[in-house]
Amino acid sequence: MNAEMSAITVNRLCKNFGRKQVLKGLDFSVPLNTIAGFLGPNGAGKTTTMRMLLGLIPGIDGEITMLGQSMPGGRTIALEEIGAVVENPAFIESMSAYENLYWFGSLYKPLTDQRIFEVIEMVGLRDAARQRFGTFSTGMKQRLGVAFGILHRPKLLILDEPTSGMDPAGRVHMREILTRIHDEEKTSIFLSSHLLDEVQRLCNYVVIIDNGKCVKQGYVSELLSGHSEKWEIRVADEDAAKTRELLATMHEAVIDINQGPRGLVVSLQTGKSAEVNSGLIKAGVRVMALIPLEASLEETFIKLTGNGITVGGGA
Amino acid sequence: MRRMLFLILFELKKILNRKKALLFLLALNIVPLVASLALIVAYVKFKGFGFGEVQFSVLHEIVKGLFTAHFKLFAFIAPFFLALVVGDSFSTELSRGYMKMLLLTPVRRWQVITAKTLAIMLFLLLAVCLGGFFLQADLLVARSLTQASGVLPDALNIDISKPLYLVSTSSAFQLLVLTFVGNLMLIGFFIVFALFFESAILMSFTSLSALMGIHTFYLIASSLLNKIDVWYESAAKWCFTRHLDELFSVNTIETILESRGNLLTDNIFTAWQASLGWAVLFYAIAVLLFSRRQILH
Repeated sequence: MNAEMSAITVNRLCKNFGRKQVLKGLDFSVPLNTIAGFLGPNGAGKTTTMRMLLGLIPGIDGEITMLGQSMPGGRTIALEEIGAVVENPAFIESMSAYENLYWFGSLYKPLTDQRIFEVIEMVGLRDAARQRFGTFSTGMKQRLGVAFGILHRPKLLILDEPTSGMDPAGRVHMREILTRIHDEEKTSIFLSSHLLDEVQRLCNYVVIIDNGKCVKQGYVSELLSGHSEKWEIRVADEDAAKTRELLATMHEAVIDINQGPRGLVVSLQTGKSAEVNSGLIKAGVRVMALIPLEASLEETFIKLTGNGITVGGGA
Repeated sequence: MRRMLFLILFELKKILNRKKALLFLLALNIVPLVASLALIVAYVKFKGFGFGEVQFSVLHEIVKGLFTAHFKLFAFIAPFFLALVVGDSFSTELSRGYMKMLLLTPVRRWQVITAKTLAIMLFLLLAVCLGGFFLQADLLVARSLTQASGVLPDALNIDISKPLYLVSTSSAFQLLVLTFVGNLMLIGFFIVFALFFESAILMSFTSLSALMGIHTFYLIASSLLNKIDVWYESAAKWCFTRHLDELFSVNTIETILESRGNLLTDNIFTAWQASLGWAVLFYAIAVLLFSRRQILH
């Protein structure tokens, strides 16, 4: 992918902490106008990569290009078009949300009160605008972090675990906020998260890293289209055993059979569902329902990294 | 440029937000504040007994002496204040993540160091001026009281019809230059330490211990050990605390106050030039260290 067409391009990025090699020639790129998820198990190097992208870890071994600017030389120019929060937002506790946004945000460019309050409104903190940051809940802090990131209308927003420590309702709210920012402000978003279902719901592009290397990247729809189809077949109780036997004989169509809570969950070769359905009906099985199950990013993740869902940030 | 000015203002606001800094502002000025209040009370009290014409001359001499003492005391207390405030501005900000937030914006690292230094310096200059203002105000109040009493002229031939300044504009400017240069060197010294620590208290104790250790070595080497080996004398000459000592000595302060010399006078010139040289060296080290510092919090 052409670096000028990408929001982020990383080539052969390496990083050692002492003797431990955290990044081992990491390569990936993120296109503009996407919401890109950055996935990887604990210790894969997600946070380290983000810190290196933003210049918090100097001394780059490899190449980083952001919005066409090569790092570290073009850091200042690139950061004028980038909003970012790495790990937990650390604003000044004795200052209010408004004051923090005014002082930190004005380091990008002069801000009007109108813009500050517009952003505060956008992240749902209108009632807390004059409240001290030290009294904020985790969710409010994260939302203020996002507000700081978009104050100067950046082309790219980089967020590290933006829903970390939030309850389910807070996560839904954050998802809505990020989608709105992407749609209304035309901001590309690059976020790391350990919540795979959240990434699947929010992101249209994904970069998966493991052990300091990129193992997969691409549009979510493309990644999931390579999967087998998953269906839940519900039959009458007396037909259950017979159905399982029949499915086991359909080698060309059926990949895997599992018992689900209300029926059999089968993995089928793409486009074979009608064939399986008619085969069952012809054999006299009363098929009560054939329900398609959505392919999950979690399967891709586990297949690629050999890990289950992991919680928490890495190095 | 706009970003740099804004950064300095932001740093100044952060300093003024700290109770610690305001307490230091009080501590640095407690002597001129209390003394000027006490003097004016005593002056008013004694005037009631008809000694006004003598009292004003005496008051004028006392206030001038107090100003020299204030300046000397300020130079003594300032390192303690600077160690803590530099610790807060660097070590605490590194550990709390404020530094990370700053560096996520398009500011350069040398700009962060410069802005923090200038903000601390502005606060320090404000503090040293404040004490001078108290003492100057003391004189002005006493003079107007004298004028109002109608008891003229003064025993020391002070022409109370002319403006009465505690210190001339030229002397005040030169004293501020000395304060700036001397403390610039100290701030640079403390920043180098602050970049290795993430606890302001720990950083303050360590850097002040180092400072006192260096100064003790200078005192012993220059007065005692130099008699054993000339090497000690050479080593003592390179101690940067020696230049601080000379910059803020009573002799230097009085020389400038009484216009017997200026910034270009031999020993004063050497002292502030050497201090400036040390300040540049400390800043170069600090910028180099900070540019390589990983921000992991």
